[in-house]
Amino acid sequence: MRLSEIGMGRLLRVSSALIILGLVVEIVSLVWYHPLSFVLFAFVGISLIALGILVYLISLAFVATRSTENRNST
Amino acid sequence: MIAMLVVQIVLSIILASIFLIRPSVTSATAWKILAFIGLCALPFLCIVGGMNTHMQRSEQTQFCISCHAMVPYGQSLYVDDPSYLPAQHFQNHRVPADMACYACHADYSIYGPLKDKMRGLTRIYMQYVSTPPNPIRIPGGYQNGQCLHCHLGARSFEENQIHAAVMDSLKSNQMSCLTSGCHDTAHNVAQLSHVKFWRPGQ
Repeated sequence: MRLSEIGMGRLLRVSSALIILGLVVEIVSLVWYHPLSFVLFAFVGISLIALGILVYLISLAFVATRSTENRNST
Repeated sequence: MIAMLVVQIVLSIILASIFLIRPSVTSATAWKILAFIGLCALPFLCIVGGMNTHMQRSEQTQFCISCHAMVPYGQSLYVDDPSYLPAQHFQNHRVPADMACYACHADYSIYGPLKDKMRGLTRIYMQYVSTPPNPIRIPGGYQNGQCLHCHLGARSFEENQIHAAVMDSLKSNQMSCLTSGCHDTAHNVAQLSHVKFWRPGQ
């Protein structure tokens, strides 16, 4: 599936959802005073937030690709 | 520090929620900048801040003894006997009381905190997946460097004739501070049921 088929709006939604989920995990890990809280933050929280940032950056690349295509067609 | 992190997290959640509900707002330039802040810059800062907070938290005595296997080691800090080295350091504030474990067991090299965290993860694995060894032993033994980090250069340590005579052996770790017979009572958790405990404020 190409990026143009997915749409920027959808990518932004996925990115936002992943970041919110990761931040909620981070809040839980900060409130939960337990040796496993670091594991939860490091392996679940950071992964979700980093994936969210990555999807956002991909959406930026999608905007750049689309504007280049538009410029070429005119 | 933690308040700053909470503000970043809340702000990031609010901004991400806006883009989750209405991603079309990013067509305006100002919202494009806000999207970069809310979906890239702030979450990145939240990762850094969260990591820093967790690293600082794992240096606290309460954190170390929150593992079941570490509870007797925490109790040994209250033994009412000056020959118990960790208790003597803890009770007389020779180490910060809230960072007692970390003060004596930290790796003080440049990548020490990172190595400590990796070792901590293997201990978590032992606690929850396999079985912690009994008694718990430090891999490679206790290094003199952890004592010398504070004591080296201290007048009472340097002027002690016994220390002065074996200083080179202590620095090169050829002679252990603990197992050489000089300061051989550390946590000694096997004997905790036979000792008297100190209660702060008494």
